[in-house]
Amino acid sequence: MDNKKGKNMLRINETPVRTSKSFNINDININETEIENESNVFENVEIIGDSSKIQISNNKTPINLKYGLGEELTNQVKNNSNQEFQIVVDSKTNKETIFNFDFNKTNSSLIENIDILANEGTSATFVFKYESLKDVEAYHNGIIKLNAKENSNINIIIINLLSDNSKNLLAIENTIEKNANVTYTIVDFGGEKTVTNYYSNVAGDFAKSNLNTIYLGKDKQVLDLNYIAELYGEKSNVNIEVQGALKDKARKNFKGTIDFKKGCKKAVGEENENCMLLSDTAKSIALPMLLCSEEDVEGAHSSSAGKIGEKELFYIMSRGFELKEAQKLLVRANFNKILENISNEDLKNLILKNIDLKLD
Amino acid sequence: MSNTLIELKDLHVNAGEKEILKGINLKINKGEIHVIMGPNGSGKTTTANAILNNPEYTKTAGQVIYEGENINDLKTDEIARKGVFMSFQLPEEIPGISVTNFLKYAKNKITGQPVKIFQFKDELKKYMEELNMNPKNMDRSLNVGFSGGEKKKNEILQMLVLNPKLAILDETDSGLDVDAIKTVSKGIEMFKNENNAVLIITHNNKILHSLKVDYVHVLVDGKIVATGTQELATEIENNGYSKYKK
Amino acid sequence: MAKTQVEDIDRNVYDIKDKDNYDFKIEKGITKEIVEEISKQKNDPEWMREFRLKALEVYNSLEMPTWGPDLSELNMEEIATYVRPKTKLNTSWDDVPDDIKNTFDRLGIPEAERKSLAGVGAQYDSEVVYHSMKEDLIKQGVIYTDMETAIREYPDLVKQYFMKCVPVNDHKFVALHGAVWSGGSFVYVPKNVKLDFPLQSYFRLNSPESGQFEHTLIIVEEGASLHFIEGCSAPKYNKINLHAGCVELIVKDNAYLRYSTIENWSKNMMNLNTKKAMIGKNAQVDWVTGSFGSKISMLYPLSQLNGEGAKTEYTGISFAGEGQNLDTGFKAIHNAPNTSSVVNAKSISKNGGKCTYRSLIKISPKAKGSKSSVSCESLMLDDISVSDTIPVNDIQTDDVEFSHEAKIGKISDKTIFYLMSRGLSEEDAKAMIVRGFAYPISKELPVEYAVEMNNLINLELEGCIG
Repeated sequence: MDNKKGKNMLRINETPVRTSKSFNINDININETEIENESNVFENVEIIGDSSKIQISNNKTPINLKYGLGEELTNQVKNNSNQEFQIVVDSKTNKETIFNFDFNKTNSSLIENIDILANEGTSATFVFKYESLKDVEAYHNGIIKLNAKENSNINIIIINLLSDNSKNLLAIENTIEKNANVTYTIVDFGGEKTVTNYYSNVAGDFAKSNLNTIYLGKDKQVLDLNYIAELYGEKSNVNIEVQGALKDKARKNFKGTIDFKKGCKKAVGEENENCMLLSDTAKSIALPMLLCSEEDVEGAHSSSAGKIGEKELFYIMSRGFELKEAQKLLVRANFNKILENISNEDLKNLILKNIDLKLD
Repeated sequence: MSNTLIELKDLHVNAGEKEILKGINLKINKGEIHVIMGPNGSGKTTTANAILNNPEYTKTAGQVIYEGENINDLKTDEIARKGVFMSFQLPEEIPGISVTNFLKYAKNKITGQPVKIFQFKDELKKYMEELNMNPKNMDRSLNVGFSGGEKKKNEILQMLVLNPKLAILDETDSGLDVDAIKTVSKGIEMFKNENNAVLIITHNNKILHSLKVDYVHVLVDGKIVATGTQELATEIENNGYSKYKK
Repeated sequence: MAKTQVEDIDRNVYDIKDKDNYDFKIEKGITKEIVEEISKQKNDPEWMREFRLKALEVYNSLEMPTWGPDLSELNMEEIATYVRPKTKLNTSWDDVPDDIKNTFDRLGIPEAERKSLAGVGAQYDSEVVYHSMKEDLIKQGVIYTDMETAIREYPDLVKQYFMKCVPVNDHKFVALHGAVWSGGSFVYVPKNVKLDFPLQSYFRLNSPESGQFEHTLIIVEEGASLHFIEGCSAPKYNKINLHAGCVELIVKDNAYLRYSTIENWSKNMMNLNTKKAMIGKNAQVDWVTGSFGSKISMLYPLSQLNGEGAKTEYTGISFAGEGQNLDTGFKAIHNAPNTSSVVNAKSISKNGGKCTYRSLIKISPKAKGSKSSVSCESLMLDDISVSDTIPVNDIQTDDVEFSHEAKIGKISDKTIFYLMSRGLSEEDAKAMIVRGFAYPISKELPVEYAVEMNNLINLELEGCIG
């Protein structure tokens, strides 16, 4: 890298605690030129759901993130967003609210600010789906903020099916109050570069934060996932489960931090990350951090990487499946536990279809 | 001197907010074997834990009188050093501490006397043979990787070595096959004499087929609803607890 | 619930200060003049003088680490980097001056030498004051001497390897080491020679406001085998001392090296140490490390698995108490097919101490068929202490078996109740559990150190048996 180019590089998605620079995981570089500005409103949004229990308005809400992807990207959403949703959940609803963001030639750039307030005792499910046509170079820089009040129960599903030459940049910040339960299911399949910063402030006693992610990388796709959960509440709970597969020259950085803050007595935090490597040129870096300033907690993480088990592969192939089919089957099997969080059958089928497409 | 070893007087015990024992009365004399039977959730394990003052349980009323002394508020280790032993339903695993070292240390704490190493090892070996235990277990970490049966036998081994005055066996027979139960009964017989007593807690009475007991108490919903002899156990074996449930 | 009193190790033996009775002590700070003066005092050959000055340039060009513990308390202007004791290198303890000899006697070094070691080196401040090895090993061609002697007597061998394994630009404190290094041990084990007993080097820093920068270079030739032990300690002073040693291990095909360290620096020590092993085909390096002392430690031994079938194991424990920040861990770089690494790391934090496990496992595209398994366990003894786990796992090929597991937590109340029901007091129960927790590591340590470690956990487990 020459110096001139270096000047235009931004370090984004920094880990909450740094480690040696030479380990290449503290942050990820993006070129300033990769940040696109767009002044036109992103119009291709379809919202499906029950409007009687959920208020949605196009208000801009203030943004003040503890982490986020970095100053430049956060500021872009602050100052130049081209789509805003302020969402207030007032009661319990079983019906999902689905946001379909469809990227095309005229709507190729989305800079969005989503703010969700889940009032006390409410429950709701939101789906944010980002999909682009194959030849569209989409740009997405989004912030989702969620405040889950006492006893609320919020389910958020994020599906990234952007084209393989897209940028997908997303920052999430949750505040989870007493006895509230927040579950995210993230499906990251698209994007030349997918960079996600996820932060849960597990503030209240008995608060629960679950995050389940599946990802698939192929060609030269790069994923940089930086998941942070801080436990403050007594008997609070964090669970992070990440399952992924990489083929070709895809690369994934997984940074998962569970941080037990002083006072979170009897809190439990678990993190499990598994990467299936489907080619000998794919790269997987993982940094599963456990930080602990409280004695009376239980924390565990595990991380693994490697080929799909040869025995399983052989077993399935002995039943007449060819290699590729057998691989697909095993990847799907690994993803299944996470996909169970998605009750919408159409969505599930769409995801399964995309798994097949990506692994072809 | 009184022959009474332990007496529970109107003992009420909570686990968290919930009342589990609702007034237990029980008297055990030296030389006796008592059995507490009862369906799941009736308070059997709570009874054992309350005697040893497990901090997870709170006594809300009543008394535990051991050798004439109220031991309600003594710490668990003080109660143990006075001669009360409990065989755990689920013995804890302690990595890095061998069975031998643990028992030497515990024996020293209980007796307050230095343990004579060779004598101690011989004694340990003898007991292990009697209990059909693999002598290699002596050097393994306490309970780590032990099968269910090995753990239970290890509890009986500890009872024999520590030689308490009152041995409380909490579900020691559960999950064991017939041979293992016989071994446990044999351990109890080896232990038993006119100066000590045994309280067996069980939800089935398989162990009573190979052991003669003096009293059987039926515990239902935190209260002793019937007391009898070995025949009572047989009756329950045939008819279940339904008669005693409200 | 009362907290366990897991006492600090009885530091008396370590804390006895000798008078700062040096032959020569360089002025504090780090300048070109100082480096040249050290070189002059040490009678360096020209190449070493040049090497030092180059290293100083690198030192000045590098930044402080941007991660890890806060090193702002370290002020190089306050550190004397070279302190020569009032004695030459001796081969008999009788010739070592009484005050220095008494220090090593208290540490049990001559006794250990008689009982269980094949050779001993002892460094006091910046110079090695004693070196000796069993006669039969000399006959077999084993070399065990101080680095200065090695430079004089085996210049080609030293030149070939000195700071090649750990380059001076690795990080700032390696560069500093390169500029001011002094003392340390040189070991050469010829082809197929297997040592039955360990060699041990002991490093003692007595002088206040000074630094120790010993260099250890070990070459284990093909098919040879060695167990090397290093120990280190210092009395406690109010001002910061610095230790920036460097260990280079060259372990050739089919050779074996076990490198045991028991680090017990005083709590005013900044321990910024660097260790690296280059491991050949089917060779193996095992690290066993106990870190108890120092105010701040940053130490991550590196095993570079260069030959097919090379293996490494790391077994380490850190015990941080009040005012301590122990940032330790391990790095393994798999550079060849069918290599393997196994990590078993444990830490105990108490009284506000902080333990961090920091690591890198890198499996390069060349390392097909490699295996790595990592297990970390951290025990928190109170709620004012801190324990962090920061492992990086960089996997660059698919044909690997990699797994990493970490656990953190406190001693379970259920386990305490179980032990108390057997007559142990709460304190005894906790101490027993801690000792059991540390056992997988203490059993790997040389026996004297294992005993020391158990004393540390203050278990009268053996003592009361009579």
